[in-house]
Amino acid sequence: MSQTLEFKQNSHLDPALTDPATRTLNADKLIGRWINTNTKTQGIVEIVIQQEGEEFSVSALGAGLNGPIAWSKTRASVLANLEEEAGQRAVALAVTFNFDFMTAETYLRINKGVLVIVLFNTFRDDSRRSNYVTREFFYRPE
Amino acid sequence: MEFAQVYDRVEIDEAPAGAIDHSGLIGTWINSNPDTTGVARFVVAEDDGQLRVRTYAIGPDNLIDWGLADVTIFASSPSSRVAAGFACQYDFGFAETLLQGMILKGLVVLAQIHSFKDDSNRASFFVREYFALEHGRF
Repeated sequence: MSQTLEFKQNSHLDPALTDPATRTLNADKLIGRWINTNTKTQGIVEIVIQQEGEEFSVSALGAGLNGPIAWSKTRASVLANLEEEAGQRAVALAVTFNFDFMTAETYLRINKGVLVIVLFNTFRDDSRRSNYVTREFFYRPE
Repeated sequence: MEFAQVYDRVEIDEAPAGAIDHSGLIGTWINSNPDTTGVARFVVAEDDGQLRVRTYAIGPDNLIDWGLADVTIFASSPSSRVAAGFACQYDFGFAETLLQGMILKGLVVLAQIHSFKDDSNRASFFVREYFALEHGRF
């Protein structure tokens, strides 16, 4: 029996979205420890991505004044990636880190073996800082 | 001042900060990929002091108008007052779409995160596409 699918763009009807393989495609490419390519970053120094069963989690170290600042291990949403050429495709992850004073929303994806993160930071305190966005690149140390 | 990375730790003038200059976002942004099956274009405009985006996506026959969504503006650093990106969200009932745009070299790189809420068993998915500002000069 066929089901009529609602959509708001043609890609909502992409058959790959109902293929179970799409949800885990090349997930192993994401798993592990990643180091910022910029040794002088003032943002995220290191990222660790873990998989337990079907669940993914992300932890990070932010650059601090006297050593790194731990960002707690946080569950990530797995996103099928319809963007890259077939041979390059791997799932992407979305994760939101909540601090008392700030929320940091990020998506993480692999591009040619490099982990690319874009971080949207929203301040929730009254410090009058501007919300800001950054993009950083990470490599595998081993 | 609390911070989670050194980027967050900035000096902020005591003078009133004022709004972020979002003039660089205003206009019609066209997808660089003529064969896209997703967002074709989006229009950023200010309405009564609020920045809003109207998105048009590729449908089977015509563009599908997603309507207006309020925009959150992002600068390039906590001390900057110039827009470098934006985010907005659409709730279609059967799915939610988060749009996160970042300006890079004059283009908007638009990340789209689609999450289905119906029982269609479709996977949430991610797409990233490039958009150029329609300038009408050439």
